[in-house]
Amino acid sequence: MSEGQKPIPPGICFLWEEKALQLPEIVGDKELVKQIWEENESLAYTYIWHCLVSF
Amino acid sequence: MSVTFGGEYPTMLQDKEALYQERLKRYTTALHNGKPDRIPIRPFVAEFTAKYAGYTCQQITHDYRLAFAAARKCAQDFDWDAVVGNMVYVWTGLTQAIGLKYYGVPGIDVSADTGFQYREPSEEKAFMHADEYGALAEDPTGFLFNVWMPRVSTEVNPIGAPATYRNNLSFLKGGMAMLNYFSAFGTQNELLRRECGTVSAISGILKAPLDIIADKLRGYLGLANDLMKQPDKVLKACEALMPHLLHVARTSADPEKQVPIGFWMHRGCVPFISRKHFETIFWPTLRPIIEELWKSGHQTLFYAEGKWGHHLEAFAELPEHSMVYHIDQDDIVKVHRVLKEKFCLSGGIPNSLLAFGTPQEVRDRCKLVIDTIGREGGYIMDASAIVQNDAKIENIQAMTDFTHEYGVY
Repeated sequence: MSEGQKPIPPGICFLWEEKALQLPEIVGDKELVKQIWEENESLAYTYIWHCLVSF
Repeated sequence: MSVTFGGEYPTMLQDKEALYQERLKRYTTALHNGKPDRIPIRPFVAEFTAKYAGYTCQQITHDYRLAFAAARKCAQDFDWDAVVGNMVYVWTGLTQAIGLKYYGVPGIDVSADTGFQYREPSEEKAFMHADEYGALAEDPTGFLFNVWMPRVSTEVNPIGAPATYRNNLSFLKGGMAMLNYFSAFGTQNELLRRECGTVSAISGILKAPLDIIADKLRGYLGLANDLMKQPDKVLKACEALMPHLLHVARTSADPEKQVPIGFWMHRGCVPFISRKHFETIFWPTLRPIIEELWKSGHQTLFYAEGKWGHHLEAFAELPEHSMVYHIDQDDIVKVHRVLKEKFCLSGGIPNSLLAFGTPQEVRDRCKLVIDTIGREGGYIMDASAIVQNDAKIENIQAMTDFTHEYGVY
């Protein structure tokens, strides 16, 4: 994480706010896009944290 | 898969469901320090299942389907109330897919009849360096992906190095394998219920922040040095790990809130660390996690490997019923005196006795434990520590039979 960046909270690996900046304007349901993004984020988060804690 | 049952099967399923409900009630009553109809039996059997079911350690560690089958066979044949779906837990097919260096794999690094091993690197080769506490504390998840994983995996390259084929495969295979394995636990728990009427004993995982630093990051020797030289940085890192370890525990916990989260206690006690470091780092960065989980309705099973007798008074301050205390080598009389009023206890049958004793000696020990800490309810019969393939089958049978007979209230 570089200086000035917001800390990454538990459950995700990459902030939605940063991802959203990389996308064209979402003309449809923004919340749906955010929700699915974060659900998939949680899979990556689960992977690395269970590597640490469970394996 | 769709299955059509003939006339006989639904009755069998109903019988198993009735048995399951009976055992669930027995187990959860004890978990909440109550007095069920008899003492529930919940042995944490790991490599013992291979010995009993006729497999090698390699077979059940490297093929989790065999481990699941062996766990079900034990649950069925011994008539236990609750078991863990796979107490061997570390599927070395998964760890090999990722390329994790710190496992001794049965049939590869150790004999096929030896359980898997953790191999802690020397202090010089620790997976986290002494001057990296700040980086860990600043962004724990990023540190794990970018710094830790390339060091613990034979396949993953550090940031800046080429993204190789093997690097990419490690994440893809590792992720898919983990999803596969975790998903299979759902089916395993359902089969335990339907085929054996047996309760899945725990759900979810917790480790203490300080233990994580010793186990997977700095190594025990590195941490011991750091506690003397830079305790403030250790504390800050533990504080940064807290919300993540809470998240892992909460998201892997039983959604029905019936069975506890497994909390595996390693080297956070005297004499591995000093009382001062327990009081200033280990416990202040663990206790809020336990209390937060309890606020969400989740009990935590303190699997107190070794001796935690110096810290029982601290544990006694937790909210009533918020944890279950599992006894390994602690003095059962002291544990009973300090904790029994508020918490369920389990364990206390030494693994050495199960491995080298006679069935009569096992029965005698079970009687002593039941008479000392189990007479008023709130006790679950189990070995002191995870049961490996050195335990004699006749001794496990003796522990089971004696509890069935003598453990009736």
